[in-house]
Amino acid sequence: MKTSCIIVEDIQIAADFLKKFCEKSDLVDVKGHFLNVEDALEFLDQHKPDLIFLDVEMPGANGFQLLDSLTYSPKIILTTSKTDYAFDAFQYHVDDYLKKPFTYKRFLEALQKIQDQPAPPPPPAASPAPPSASSDMDFLFIKADDKLVRLKKDDILFMESMRDYVKFVTPGKTYITYSTLKSMEEKLAGPSFLKVHRSYIININKIDDIRGNTIYVQGTPIPVGKGHKEELAARLNIL
Amino acid sequence: MKEIRSDRFVFHERLNAAFLEELFEGDTVYAETVFEDFLRDLPAYWEKVQASYQSKNMSLLGTNIHTCKTLFGYVGFTDLQELCQEFEIKCALNTAEALQMDFDILSGKKQDAQKIIENEYSRLKRFNEG
Repeated sequence: MKTSCIIVEDIQIAADFLKKFCEKSDLVDVKGHFLNVEDALEFLDQHKPDLIFLDVEMPGANGFQLLDSLTYSPKIILTTSKTDYAFDAFQYHVDDYLKKPFTYKRFLEALQKIQDQPAPPPPPAASPAPPSASSDMDFLFIKADDKLVRLKKDDILFMESMRDYVKFVTPGKTYITYSTLKSMEEKLAGPSFLKVHRSYIININKIDDIRGNTIYVQGTPIPVGKGHKEELAARLNIL
Repeated sequence: MKEIRSDRFVFHERLNAAFLEELFEGDTVYAETVFEDFLRDLPAYWEKVQASYQSKNMSLLGTNIHTCKTLFGYVGFTDLQELCQEFEIKCALNTAEALQMDFDILSGKKQDAQKIIENEYSRLKRFNEG
C-alpha cells in the first residue's frame, strides 16, 4: 500500500519536483499540495495523511508552526534550502530533512528511512523537550557574527523573535542568532525565563516594573500577550 | 516519459553541471520544463525583492531572497544560491543602506543568471526538438 502524503511548499518548482519524485517512486500517493500552512491545516482537519513533506519558510506561518498545530503524528520530512534548522528539526522529532534542491536518490533515502521506522513519533506538543546540554548550566552558546558566543543566562535581559532569528538583548550588547523563539524557550526552561508574548521571552529577574500590559526591562517596553498574563502573574512574587 | 537520448546535453560552464546531471538524471525534457518555470517565476519573485528593498523592509527582503535562492538552486546556480544565503543572513543584521553594495552586486548577478538561463532554455528546447 502506498504512503499517503501532502506537500506543503510555496515554491512551485520545488513542489513539482516533489510530485514528480513521488510519482516516480510509486511508493507515495500525493493527496494534496498546499502553498501555505493555513490551507494545509484546513485539509489536515479532515484528513490524516501518513506523511507530510513540509517546507519551513513560507509566507505567513512557518513549517514549525504547522507542527505545533498537529493533532496526530504523521511522518514528517522537512524540505528547506537552509541547513540551520537541524536543531529545530531534532527538537520536533522530524523523520528526515531534505535540503533543496535535492536529488531523486536523496528523496528515496528519506522515504526508506521513514519506512524503516515502525512507530510514529509522539506529537511535538505533547513531547517533552529533549535533554539540552545547556539547560542545567548557567550559560549557553549562540551562533552569532560567524562564531559561537558564550552568553551567561543571567546576563540576558530578554529575547525577541525576528521571524527566523532571535535577538538576545544583554545590558552591553545585542546578538542575533538563527533560531526560533520556541527552540529558545525549550533551551532556557527554568525559573528565570518566561514567554510573555509570542515574540518575547524575558528574564523575570530583570523586570523593572509592569504598567498595564507592558513590562519594562531596563527601559525597554515589552508587551504582555493575552494568553500569557495568567502565567506571568503566577510567576511573579507579588505581595 | 520521453525516451532519454544517448547524446548528452552539456550545460553552460557557469552552472553546476555535475549537480544538474544528478538532479535531472539525463531527462532534458524535464530540465527544459524547469528552466522554463524558472524564467516564468524569477521575474515575479525579483519584483518582490526590489519592492521590499525599496521599502527597507529587511525581514521581508530576507524572505524574498530566500525564495529566489531556492529557485537558483534548481537551475544549477549553486554559487549564486550561496551568495543569496549570505545576503539573507545580512538582511537580519543590517539596514538597506548598509547593504546597498551587496544588493547591487546580487542584482547584477541575477541579471547575468537570467540571461544564461534564457540561453540554456533555448538550447534545451532545440536539443529536445532535434
